[in-house]
Parts: sequence; C-alpha cells; structure tokens
Amino acid sequence: MSALPAAVAVPLRLRVSIVAADQLTAQRLAELVALSGHEPVDPTEAADAVLTDGSVAAESGLPIIALGVGEGDFAGFLPADAGPAQLDAALRAVAAGLSVRPLPARQPDFAPLPDEPSPTLTAREVEVLTALAEGLGNKAVARRLGISPHTVKFHIESLLRKLGAATRAEAVAKGLRRQIVEL
Amino acid sequence: MAEDTQDFLTQFSAALAERVAAARPLVASVRVRGHSWHSGTLWRKDVVVASEQALPRAAEAEVVLADGGTFTARIDGRDPGTNVAVLRLEGSPQPAWSDALPPQPGALVLALAADGISGAAVRLGAVHSVGPAWHSRAGGRIDHRIGLDIRLGRGEEGGPVVDAAGGLLGISTLGPRRSVLVIPTATVERVLEPLLTKGRVARGWLGAAVQPVLVPEPLRDQAGQTQGLMVLGVTRDGPAAQAGVLMGDIIVALDGAAVAGASQLAELLGPEAVGRQLQLRLIRAGAVQSLSATVGERPPR
Repeated sequence: MSALPAAVAVPLRLRVSIVAADQLTAQRLAELVALSGHEPVDPTEAADAVLTDGSVAAESGLPIIALGVGEGDFAGFLPADAGPAQLDAALRAVAAGLSVRPLPARQPDFAPLPDEPSPTLTAREVEVLTALAEGLGNKAVARRLGISPHTVKFHIESLLRKLGAATRAEAVAKGLRRQIVEL
Repeated sequence: MAEDTQDFLTQFSAALAERVAAARPLVASVRVRGHSWHSGTLWRKDVVVASEQALPRAAEAEVVLADGGTFTARIDGRDPGTNVAVLRLEGSPQPAWSDALPPQPGALVLALAADGISGAAVRLGAVHSVGPAWHSRAGGRIDHRIGLDIRLGRGEEGGPVVDAAGGLLGISTLGPRRSVLVIPTATVERVLEPLLTKGRVARGWLGAAVQPVLVPEPLRDQAGQTQGLMVLGVTRDGPAAQAGVLMGDIIVALDGAAVAGASQLAELLGPEAVGRQLQLRLIRAGAVQSLSATVGERPPR
C-alpha cells in the first residue's frame, strides 16, 4: 500500500557527518548536533546522515539535512534558526527514509476589510464567541458577561446555528478570527 | 510563410508573445539571502517594487533584471496597507511602460513573473471583476478593485500585469484563498514617494481591534442605525485607550458620520488624519455616549 519501507530501525544516537563551507560554521553545526543528542563526525568517517549549510555538494548516498537553505536536492530542510529539538526530530526522520520540510510561511492573504457582520451576529453573540475563543467554559463566560449560564447556552446555540457549526471550537474558528481588524 | 496567410490563432499567439517580450524588461527577480526568489517590477530607473507580504524581512536583496544585470538592492520601504515594498538599486536601466486604460471585466491580461534567473514566467488570463476603491485589512486604500481569473505559482506575485495593449495595470498580489488581485498603477505611484523618502506610509491609527456587529435591538433607535463596530481589543496606551475606549464598546459614529463597517473607519484614518481630534459616538452598558480621541500614527509592523 505504501512505498515507505515498512520497518526501519533508527539507532537512538546517530552519527552525523558535518559538511560546511568553513571551519567556523562546521563547529557551530557540530555543536548543534551534539546538543540534539547525536554524534558529530568528520566527513571522512562513516555516518548515518549529513548536516550541511548547503554551500558544499555532498555526494555520499546518505540523507542530507540542509540548514538555512531554501532549495536543493536534500532530504531535509531546516530554517537557519532551528533548535536542537527540531534537528533531533529531522535527523530521525531522514534516517528513517522520510523527508523534512518546515511549515510554509503564513499564506499571503491580502484581504479587504470586513464591512458586514456576516453572518449577522449580535453584539452579545460576539462577546460570547470572544470568551469561547479564550477557552472559557459556560460558567466562566456567564460570570464575565454578568448573565446566567442558561442565557450563555442560549447564545451558544444561536451561534452554532448561525455559523453552521457543530461544536464550540468550530464556531470560534468559523466565526471570529477572520473578522477582527485593528484600526 | 507570408504574414497574411497565417490564421487568426497564429497571429493572436504571436501578438501575445510580442506583448510579453515588450514587458519583459519590467520583470525583476528578487532574492533575499536564505530564501527562494520572488518577483518584482522595475518601476522606475533604480526602483523595483515587490509584494510586501511575500518579501522576507531583510535590509538587502539580490535583484536580477531581464538583461541579466545583477544588483544588490536596499529594501527601502514597505507598506503592508497597500502590499507594496520598494527596493533601491544603482545603475539600472530606465524601464519604459505606459498606463493601462481602466480595465473591463473579460479583458485579456498577461501577468509576468520572475523565474529565478533573468527570464520571465507568464500567465494569460482575463479580468475577472472590477470595482471601486477598497481598503485592505491593514487599512491601506487601493484605488480600484481588479480581480484576475489566473492562479499564481510560488514566488510569482509582485510581477507586472499588462493589458492587451501592453499598458501596465499594476502588480499582481495574492488575495483571499489564493485569488489574484492587482495593486493598480495609481496606488503604487501614490505610495512610492513616501516609501522611498521615509520608508513607510503614514496612516491614521486608533489602536482598537474592531468587528462589525448588529446593534442590539433596544438600542437601534437611540443609535440611529442597525450596525456598528464592536471593540474587541484596545492597544495599551494607544489613542483609543487614552480616549477611554473599553472592550465591548460599540462604535456607531465618528465625527457625526455613521460607521457601520471597518472600511468607513479606515476612510477616516488616512495619512492626513494623524493628529486630528475625532468625536466617537459609542454604545456602552446600554447607553449611547461620546468620547474624544486624537488619531495617532499606525506603528510599523
């Protein structure tokens, strides 16, 4: 069903070959590897994976992770400011035959200001929704707004209906975030 | 084969390729170190404009023009309000372009983009919709709403969009749900000077996060309208906070003019509004009251 190797044994501590343009960068990468709990080794030694700054083409048949590089033929990409935990996760992933990509930057979305209360929520409903977005329960919402928990329930039912949502979380996701603007 | 023996489609195709060749000198590849390339438009001699939302935050970028000329450019200004960023080069050629006529829905357009080297990628499409001036979420005023029916690939927004006559409509921009908009030539021209001289475009600011809501039924008569802007957040020490605006207030009028939507508020917060006194009419705790606020300048993002 899947093209992935079914069972890959990944050792706890990986040997990571460091390939960098200069000595200083190599040292920095080696320190990061050590911090991530793995063993940095010279390019000449046997290794499980390669960590590079992307400036040197490494042809070894090993999975390569490039740090702070946007493109290239690498198994893994990490942002320049990746931490030891991210490197650890990335090393294990590429050693297991997976590829690693950082999450894409925020989706560009040059949108117009919202002018209509859509779907037409009342001020009270927006207040309830705002409180729900902060993770408050019905009783806490009631306390904050100075209304009874029964009334809160009533507003939430109305919100679910107007927003076509099945749960409170869905209502928050659908109803609120995209409408607020700072002026 | 003689020109007059070619069929219409071949001539049409050749004409399109000609337009692209004519507009190609406007295309700039913009690359910030550590990132992949983006598209830009050579707007004037030594000035490239790009999409602000796409351009990574940096002081410098490498720019490659259509003739292969490579420059180190300074990112001189950014305006999230109109999604325009400007880069300053030294020694670029003078681009030649003319203003497009007002676009009509259905008119053909060509959106050019960088391909990472000195070539150009092209999308052929039509004007999907046109509309009046509008305000972006960041409060900037865009002179016309021009939607295109094309899609753009990664790194392609910020390139020039030309019409069938070869006139420059503006630069391409990704809008909601990856729809493609044009930031019109007039808008780019308007923000270019402040961006080049001051690095940003001054914009009025109240420091209040608002959302359009329905005015509660019992207060509609008193407020004189059915819709208002509910305050869901107040920036600490911002103009709204200093005026005494509180979370939960519903703004219904500014300086006597009813505000029902965020763009009406943005209209009153243009560059010229900075420092002005505004009378806010709002609903608080079931009653209508007035406050006076001094418009501040929107802090840089």
